[in-house]
Amino acid sequence: MSGLTALLSQTRGRDGWDWTDYFTFFWLGAGLLVMFGPAIWLVLSSLKTPAGLSEFPPTFLPYKAETIQVDGYDKPLPLYRVTTEEGVRDLAELRRVGTVAQMIDPEQPDERLRVNIADRTPIRKVGFAWENFIDPLFNSNFPTYLKNSVFVTVMATLITLLTNSMAAFALSKYQFTGRNTVMILILATLMVPLSVILVPLFSIISSVGLFDTLWGVILPTVATPTGVFMLRQYMLTIPDELLEAARMDHASEWQIYWRIVLPLTAPALAVLAIFSVVWRWNDFLWPLVVLSREEVYTLQVGLNAYAGELNVQWHFLLAMTVVTMVPVVLVFVFLQKFITTGIAGAGLK
Amino acid sequence: MGQITLKDIRKSFGPVDVLKGIDLEIEQGEFLVFVGPSGCGKSTLLRMIAGLDKPTSGTVEINDVDVTQVSAADRGLAMVFQSYALYPHMTVRQNLAFGLQNTKMPKAEIDRRIADASTMLEIDGLLSRRPGQLSGGQRQRVAIGRAIVRDPTAFLLDEPLSNLDAELRVSMRAELSALHDRIKTTMIYVTHDQVEAMTMADRIVVLRGGHIEQVATPLDLFNKPANLFVAGFIGAPAMNLFSGSLENGQFLCDGRVLGTALRLQDGPGTLGIRPQHLILADGGALSGKIALVESLGIETVLHVDLSEGGNLIAVLPGQAAVKAGDQVAFDIPRDKRHLFDGQGQRVPV
Amino acid sequence: MPSPGKIVGAVVTAPLQYMGQLVDPLLRRWQSWTGLNGMAAFFLAPNMLIFGVFVLIPMGMNIVYSMTSGNALFLKDREFVGGTHYKTLLDCQNYFDPQSCHQDLFWIAAGNTFQFVICQVALMIVVCMITALILNSEIRARSFWRAVFFFPVLLSPVVVGLIWKWILQRDGVLNAVLLDMGLEPINWLIERGWAFFAAITVSVWAHMGFYALILLAGLQAIPKDLYEAAEMDGTRHMRVFWRITLPLLMPNLLVVLVLSLIRAVQIFDEAFVLTGGGPGTATMFLTQYIYEVGFASILKNPGLAAAASILMGGVLIVLTLLQLGLTGRKDRAR
Ligand SMILES: Nc1ncnc2c1ncn2[C@@H]1O[C@H](COP(=O)(O)OP(=O)(O)OP(=O)(O)O)[C@@H](O)[C@H]1O
Ligand SMILES: [Mg+2]
Repeated sequence: MSGLTALLSQTRGRDGWDWTDYFTFFWLGAGLLVMFGPAIWLVLSSLKTPAGLSEFPPTFLPYKAETIQVDGYDKPLPLYRVTTEEGVRDLAELRRVGTVAQMIDPEQPDERLRVNIADRTPIRKVGFAWENFIDPLFNSNFPTYLKNSVFVTVMATLITLLTNSMAAFALSKYQFTGRNTVMILILATLMVPLSVILVPLFSIISSVGLFDTLWGVILPTVATPTGVFMLRQYMLTIPDELLEAARMDHASEWQIYWRIVLPLTAPALAVLAIFSVVWRWNDFLWPLVVLSREEVYTLQVGLNAYAGELNVQWHFLLAMTVVTMVPVVLVFVFLQKFITTGIAGAGLK
Repeated sequence: MGQITLKDIRKSFGPVDVLKGIDLEIEQGEFLVFVGPSGCGKSTLLRMIAGLDKPTSGTVEINDVDVTQVSAADRGLAMVFQSYALYPHMTVRQNLAFGLQNTKMPKAEIDRRIADASTMLEIDGLLSRRPGQLSGGQRQRVAIGRAIVRDPTAFLLDEPLSNLDAELRVSMRAELSALHDRIKTTMIYVTHDQVEAMTMADRIVVLRGGHIEQVATPLDLFNKPANLFVAGFIGAPAMNLFSGSLENGQFLCDGRVLGTALRLQDGPGTLGIRPQHLILADGGALSGKIALVESLGIETVLHVDLSEGGNLIAVLPGQAAVKAGDQVAFDIPRDKRHLFDGQGQRVPV
Repeated sequence: MPSPGKIVGAVVTAPLQYMGQLVDPLLRRWQSWTGLNGMAAFFLAPNMLIFGVFVLIPMGMNIVYSMTSGNALFLKDREFVGGTHYKTLLDCQNYFDPQSCHQDLFWIAAGNTFQFVICQVALMIVVCMITALILNSEIRARSFWRAVFFFPVLLSPVVVGLIWKWILQRDGVLNAVLLDMGLEPINWLIERGWAFFAAITVSVWAHMGFYALILLAGLQAIPKDLYEAAEMDGTRHMRVFWRITLPLLMPNLLVVLVLSLIRAVQIFDEAFVLTGGGPGTATMFLTQYIYEVGFASILKNPGLAAAASILMGGVLIVLTLLQLGLTGRKDRAR
């Protein structure tokens, strides 16, 4: 605990604590709780059984009822701690009718006891309901959603990288009439959100037959002005002499782009790739509009559909939410430096 | 073969005329140097020859074939850039091989050429390194190696030594000269360092403001500068120039008679004498007080304020026994003086 | 022995190089045919084609859509009605009372969005400012703390919505905590005021890391010697903040202000998943209105949705110009 105190504390090189130090301590502590808490709560909840989830007040850790295998019964029976006149006994439940349960002592399986359910509490131990994660993989559309999301994310990112870098190359390394017009067009639409062109975009997608297809989700998102702009800024720093040297070396313009400029733009491409993956993975409104059949739902749309059902199956929903969150968290953990410097540098999101 | 002919090359960038009609014959196997003050159009001219830019008008011929409209890659020339322009993401070997691979040369031939060139330039130990892991001098060699492996009709070098420190520059200068002696390929070399020009060139082209001022061998340039600009530009310290007038075969300047027995027309003119050619002599034509003495050991440089106004620089061999404040007088040897007419053109004495 | 990085690099680049070689002969022919300008066109074409078809053309079409009526999707089947939709949208007896408007839902959504923007941006700025100041002070493990505040930024809005829906529901953990502290549980997502409050807080939670990062970058760019000079003068904390930090941070603060305004106006995903616009219409925002009128509801009316989106686009353009102007001024000031 002293480690945490040291971590939290800040010193201004003076003796004693200033109010700012207390405030910092408070803010960071609260931040840790408020920012991380919900995600951790989500993960813990996703590992609870439906019974555990419906409990109020909820338990912190996921519990599972203790069960026992009794001779003569196929299924394992749930164990309860029962308070009777004779004292406290651990009994297994056979069935329950109203407020009365039929129970047996695992030691003496022949004798049946009738117990009021008020007199007993289930015996539980910490246990994870992995079936929340495993079941949807086999008997729901979840694997399809996952596959669709992966497809959309990978394809959109690859196309984004290719088309954006080609455009950025043309805009940074060639002098041609209309270059400024193109730049201004791209800049002008930097801030036009999808929601403003939702209706006509939908009609275009429909008229080219992409309604209800994954390509209909992918194509409108790939020509990101942000990507073109960012890559162009980076390519401007590559000296023109390098391109001229390549021209003297019999390289075609395509080779100059593919063999010289692209490899040298790798750092910027990496940042764009990370952002594109996160953007496309998280996209919601546009897929929601374009996709209407369950077979083509992406994760985000699928999750929303599950959450909108009359009888929300929270144990599955939470588990799937965790799965949806995992790739992004992995990206974050491993590539945090890239992302934060990318944002601080370009102010993009 | 490596003969290049430039016919009336003109180049404008928008309203700015950078090259104003260049005519030049470059001989097979020649080491030709372009010198001139910064911004006079040396690089621009070289890029015209290379094919990296197209002239506004005029033609470039290589071996009597008009290549003005031929692309840089197909002219069979190789260029060494001031910044070297090595591909940073490729190893030295890949840098050397890139241009050859682009011409679909068989691998064995590529390997042979790289081996030859790298032995010649003593970079065979560096082949698997990247440019970033090389010293300036090593990079320079690789840049030259990249040109050599191409076995070009001619080499074009744009200030290739200007990024090296003084010591390295001297040794690379010698190496380049030795290289030229060995491979006997035409080389066109741009510099603004006149020592480089004088020591390496077979012929020197002096450029100013987009014009050729003079084309001559180094010694001719030194001994018979065609005009005032070349006279002042070549040689260090610069030639002392006195403007005055010719009257009855005498050259008069500020009332002094600086030259006699000149069989020339009367009129305004300029007389020049190189600092090294002045001879200390009591009662000489030029007298004054020493303002500054620079003793370089091997020679002594005197800055003299002339009695009749104006000043003069003289270089005396060895360690002259003079000090600042001394009164001195110089003689102008008859065969060392240079005369220029009112238009600044050289007139034979 | 080559390093693993090199091996991975080779594995990735070798097929890429091969692919590049594959198309090269074709493009060489194109280049010799059209020259450099043709190549520039070639490089621009894919992006501009997609951009044109899916961004520029829809932008133009939107205006036409907003002036046609009917249920048909394709323009050729739609009837031209001129400015009727705008008239309908703006038809109000009293602009402060949505009930008096012809399209009351639009005005409710607009009012909600307006309130949301004001509250969310104000809260956002304050929270981000404090966080950035604290992250910039001499704390240990700064990059860890930065990560703590930043991490929700990458979460998808649907995940954010679901996480908080789970926490805020009646039998959720927050109410359990309230009970534990002896307070009354609150129907967070059922009561109008609280639902609105939840939408604001959740969206601040989700995005604050992004803006805090921009502010932090600004703070770190302020030269340290200014603070040292102030300390030498014995200036007090608060005064240092008002007289040094705030003025020098102004450019970044303006960027944060405008960016967060622009994004707040478009609020949709998190709120939609969290509350679905409810209870009633308490958290129905403009984007949701456009979505519902355009696609979802029984009152489907694409023309009206287009008109509404153009009105919203107008607000966004004003804000964007504001931002371009401000950042332009910042660039010139440098
Ligand atoms: N792309 C261009 N657009 C406009 N003007 C140019 C361009 N390239 C060169 N110039 C101008 O042409 C003139 C000659 O340039 P150039 O690079 O040939 O000079 P240089 O003799 O090589 O000088 P230095 O010794 O400094 O390298 C300069 O005034 C320069 O400003
Ligand atoms: Mg130059």
